[in-house]
Amino acid sequence: MTSMWRRFLALLMVFGLLTAACGSDSDSSSSSSSESASSSSAEEEEPAEEFKIGLVTDTGKVDDKAFNQSAWEGALSGAAQIDGATTDYIETEESKDYANNIQLFLDDGAHVIITVGFGLGEATIEAAKANPDVLFIGVDQFQGEAIPNLAGLVFEEAKSGFLAGALAGMLTKSNIVGAVLGTDLVPPVVFFKEGWENGAKYTNPDVQTISTYHPGGLDVAFGDPEWGATTARQALDQGADIIFGAGGATGNGALIEVATEEGALCVGVDWDQWGTVPEAHPCLVTSAMKDIVKGVSDLLVAAKAGTLVGGNFLGDVDIAPYHDFEGMVTDDMRATIEEVRAGLADGSINPMPE
Amino acid sequence: MRPRQKQLLYAGLTAILILIWIFYSADDLQTTAVLAGTVRAATLLALGAMCGMIGERSGVVNIGIEGQFLLSAFAAFTITSMTGSLFMGTLAGVGMGLIMGWLLAAMAVGLKVDQIIAGTVLNISALGLTSFFYDRSRSLGIGKYTNIDLGPLADLPLVGTVFFSRPPLTYLTMALLVVVHIALFRSVWGMRTRAIGEHPGAADTVGIDVLKLRYFNVTIAGGLAGFGGSYLALEAVGTFSRAMSGGRGFLALAVMIFGRRTPFGAYAAALFFGFTTALQNQFQLNNTFDIPPQFVGMLPFVVTIVVVALSGLFGSMRDPAALGQSYEKG
Repeated sequence: MTSMWRRFLALLMVFGLLTAACGSDSDSSSSSSSESASSSSAEEEEPAEEFKIGLVTDTGKVDDKAFNQSAWEGALSGAAQIDGATTDYIETEESKDYANNIQLFLDDGAHVIITVGFGLGEATIEAAKANPDVLFIGVDQFQGEAIPNLAGLVFEEAKSGFLAGALAGMLTKSNIVGAVLGTDLVPPVVFFKEGWENGAKYTNPDVQTISTYHPGGLDVAFGDPEWGATTARQALDQGADIIFGAGGATGNGALIEVATEEGALCVGVDWDQWGTVPEAHPCLVTSAMKDIVKGVSDLLVAAKAGTLVGGNFLGDVDIAPYHDFEGMVTDDMRATIEEVRAGLADGSINPMPE
Repeated sequence: MRPRQKQLLYAGLTAILILIWIFYSADDLQTTAVLAGTVRAATLLALGAMCGMIGERSGVVNIGIEGQFLLSAFAAFTITSMTGSLFMGTLAGVGMGLIMGWLLAAMAVGLKVDQIIAGTVLNISALGLTSFFYDRSRSLGIGKYTNIDLGPLADLPLVGTVFFSRPPLTYLTMALLVVVHIALFRSVWGMRTRAIGEHPGAADTVGIDVLKLRYFNVTIAGGLAGFGGSYLALEAVGTFSRAMSGGRGFLALAVMIFGRRTPFGAYAAALFFGFTTALQNQFQLNNTFDIPPQFVGMLPFVVTIVVVALSGLFGSMRDPAALGQSYEKG
């Protein structure tokens, strides 16, 4: 092997390792530049005071087309309404890095830090207590006791799942509905599932619900589309004709698998996945949504205005539009959905009776 | 294979068939679903195991299969979404696998880098490169490979769904198993390959160019892993997401060792792993046990330990003698 070759190889390896090291870094700089249009237009008028927003993801990625991504979009949309706002994110690779990643933004002088996911709850509370001058927004983090500078954005996932389940109960022909889920280690996933099953039974007492959680830990449960697809197929093969895919990339794998089955339907999660998983268009009848984008964006605006108080904030939940399946959802079904929605709102329907 | 082992094998196969028959008469839908899931989960593992096996038979350890899967899946996905052709994407995946195989050979065989480190370089680079270049607005557009029914065979009960109503790359994998088996054990190439893995010095003295053959084999094996990457992105999942290989490249190595570095043995081991995965899913779907899913998720690993311990009782497992050693012409 000539020395030229050796040098070339060495360079190639270094390049590979370099991209591994700075993968997320350069990602974020490109994303913030794409959004700089909004902040630069603000700067033209008057050099506004800088307002730094930092976002720390859970072990999922900021482009997971579901949970983390919706929080990031919320941060961008909130920043667009604030003069001089800059946004940046850090993707958490391993759960042990939660506190370090929050600290990186603290060292950078961030004004608001958004932490995304149930898993970051404890690290966020500790950071908020240690840094009373910085505001924190914790998505999916229920606050047991209110800390003045920490707002927990929480959702009643069970209601959203219940609505989607109610629709599925009416749409199923085989009377079997399936769910392919992230992990039961994360409470919102469990709420989605319980709501979904109860909703299906509410509109269709004969329905059989078959559900599976990913058997792995937090680090893999939301990033395993192969398992999601295989498991969705297993549920289809035993007669399920509507499948709820709830769990980041794992759930997306399930949705795309259902799309290959003639006549089967699927339901997305977290936000309207019609826009984020185009591969699922042949089957995606709706999505069980929680409006993280609006929740994060509203809280950011409140933070800038100085009206953010600690405690829990309840975000909106609903199901997404039916898109191509408008024709399949009959007027009777729509009426029932309206009833359920009203019942959930006034408390006459309990999505999770124990 | 000694007569005693053969007897055991046939006895085992008969027992499995009887069990399947009993379950099938109890609940045909669920039995079919579990077995179909088994075959599906086994395909990627079998491809990875074949990649590892060709390397190890020639004396080169490849722990970079995970990275080869991931980067090839990325290449297959990207090319398909650009050209709109699943076939082009599949070729791109295989091509990327060949490149990565060559890279591994260049490090491990050419530069005589420690083979474990060389494989690790592949894994880390693949993770970095795919995260760096992944564009989330891309999608396949035309959908993934779908099932092809093999005429009247597909209408057979049970086996029709499980074996004869499959997407194309799965059929190809089954064909590859036969091809690799014949190549390894019935061809001149296979004999030379096993020779350089067992005793490269002796092989050298009879005129086999050890380094050249290792180079060739590790590169070709990379193509198999690349095919696995194409399968992952274009047939199993239908999109790309970061770190989507999820440790299956490492599991493939276990499958390879379990299958004693033979294609059919590896496929049996892969089916076995696939079966435990499908079975634990089925336990959850049926709500069989009211215990945490992580506990049922241990099943594949617990059963593996038991089976490895048991198989130790029947004949020893032996690594190729020159495994992991770089060859210096003496």
